[in-house]
Amino acid sequence: MKNIVIGRFVPGKGFLYRMDPRTKIISLVLLMASAFVIRNFTAMFMAIGFMALLLVAGRINIFRVLSGLRPLMYLLAFTFIFQLLFNTQGDLVVAWTLHYSPLNILMVTALVMLWFFTKRHVKFKFFFFLATLVGAVALVANLRLGPAFATGTLDIYESALTTGFFIVMRLMIIVTLSTVLTLTTKPTDLNLGLESVMSPLKVFRIRTEEMAMIISISLRYIPTLLDEANKIMLAQASRGVDFSEGKFKAKIMQIVSLLVPMFIISFKRSDELANAMEARSFVPGQPRTRLHQLTWGLADTAALVVSLLALTAVITTRVVM
Amino acid sequence: MRIIEIDNVSFHYKAGTPVLENVNLNVDKGEWITILGHNGSGKSTLSKLLVGLLRAKQGTIRVANVELSETTVYDIRKKIGIVFQNPDNQFVGVTVRDDIAFGLENLQVPRGEMIERIEQYAQKVDMADFLNKEPHNLSGGQKQRVAIAGILAMETDIIIFDEATSMLDPKGRNTILSMMKQLNDEGVTVINITHDMKESLYGDRIVVLKEGRILKDDTTKVVLADHKTLEKSSLEMLLPLRVLRALEAKKVDNEKVRSYLWQLSLTG
Repeated sequence: MKNIVIGRFVPGKGFLYRMDPRTKIISLVLLMASAFVIRNFTAMFMAIGFMALLLVAGRINIFRVLSGLRPLMYLLAFTFIFQLLFNTQGDLVVAWTLHYSPLNILMVTALVMLWFFTKRHVKFKFFFFLATLVGAVALVANLRLGPAFATGTLDIYESALTTGFFIVMRLMIIVTLSTVLTLTTKPTDLNLGLESVMSPLKVFRIRTEEMAMIISISLRYIPTLLDEANKIMLAQASRGVDFSEGKFKAKIMQIVSLLVPMFIISFKRSDELANAMEARSFVPGQPRTRLHQLTWGLADTAALVVSLLALTAVITTRVVM
Repeated sequence: MRIIEIDNVSFHYKAGTPVLENVNLNVDKGEWITILGHNGSGKSTLSKLLVGLLRAKQGTIRVANVELSETTVYDIRKKIGIVFQNPDNQFVGVTVRDDIAFGLENLQVPRGEMIERIEQYAQKVDMADFLNKEPHNLSGGQKQRVAIAGILAMETDIIIFDEATSMLDPKGRNTILSMMKQLNDEGVTVINITHDMKESLYGDRIVVLKEGRILKDDTTKVVLADHKTLEKSSLEMLLPLRVLRALEAKKVDNEKVRSYLWQLSLTG
């Protein structure tokens, strides 16, 4: 618990690690915007190629990126299915008549049983589930066994497939890009970069330096507070609280027994920290010099130019085509 | 030369329950004074008043001939540094280097000089090999040394140690104490706030606080032997001196034994 990694930064080499965090943040925004503008297949495939190139050139472990995509797959699947069912523009691609007969239903049940008993042996559970779902629908539509007691239709239109594809790809590109950013940038550098990128907001009286200070102190205190939580859990466990078991209500009570002391301790800590900071001449809003300085290199200019070119390219193709 | 003048200062959080009452205290430049008192004696409040974290309800505080007020408090903080009790709650930076830099950044020290000073003072507290380490990888004593380096780097004339050793193990405590000694030898005015009798041996002078009042303000040797004052403020006399007192009560008066016991207590 002590050496918890925050922000999923993984130390490594490669040009992405040496880049200025500001470049990475701005490029991220530009490339994300490009991903949203893309509306044709060639451009999308080029974008996917670009992402692959980025991952290879940046020497990034592809499995880490995939694990970043993992929580997203339910959303992606849901969006895609939603598109298939409700988007009715363009040509009709699939027009299935669903044949509900006792035998068909029996077959689907068999398929579900098969899924249920084999799923624990399969590595990609969610994809297995999707495949089963598609298989069941295909069976009901194409294998007509015995007399049907009811029929239904399943129509899939061209636009549903394309829109669904674009939405899924866009989301995947966005998540991959941000994963690449957090994988290759230390939280402190990210914070510094964000502060610098957001500094124009000072015009609107948003105090970016203080926001950065808050983030940096939070980062510093996460391990300390986790340590504290551990201690409290041990203390509570020694008095008979069992954190691993219990019903929902009992779980809530356990969390409360952890949260209340955590809050009190955090407030006490922050009070003392504020005193220590003030005693060391910290005055909120006053100018400070900086130990850490960001350095802009040639690679940064290049990266920014590439991202800008990408955005202008997709915008022009969209306008022209 | 007077560096701190506390004149008739009183403080309370809630009216009717004074924390400090009519405190008068002067500290000379280069002196090492120990403020001795039990929990709730007001000793930590006194240190907070000195750097303007709290404002006295009555009386004046002058630091290096400047009266502490809302306008001068920032200048005065450049002259006094405090090392607090809990090493974890004063560690601002993400790494040791960042933490030593924090005060310097506040003082707007130019970056080049900042890097030099960090290097210099990290070496002084023997933490130069830990500059890139994060606080949760350090021991309490190491964190406290970083806190000291952070104050030293600001090059203040006065350093207050507010129970700075009370959360450390004996080894960590001894390191911090010898560091205080070294600093004092170099001319830094040291104010050590503690409830530990042994620590008070090191200083030139002891101020005993009880319930917000100064009970005694005298040289270390006089206060340590003053069993009445110590008893009143529920502090325990050092063992060799207790033995001496018991011997005196039995009329065993031997000059050799007396000087030996004194020596024993003063060497800790």
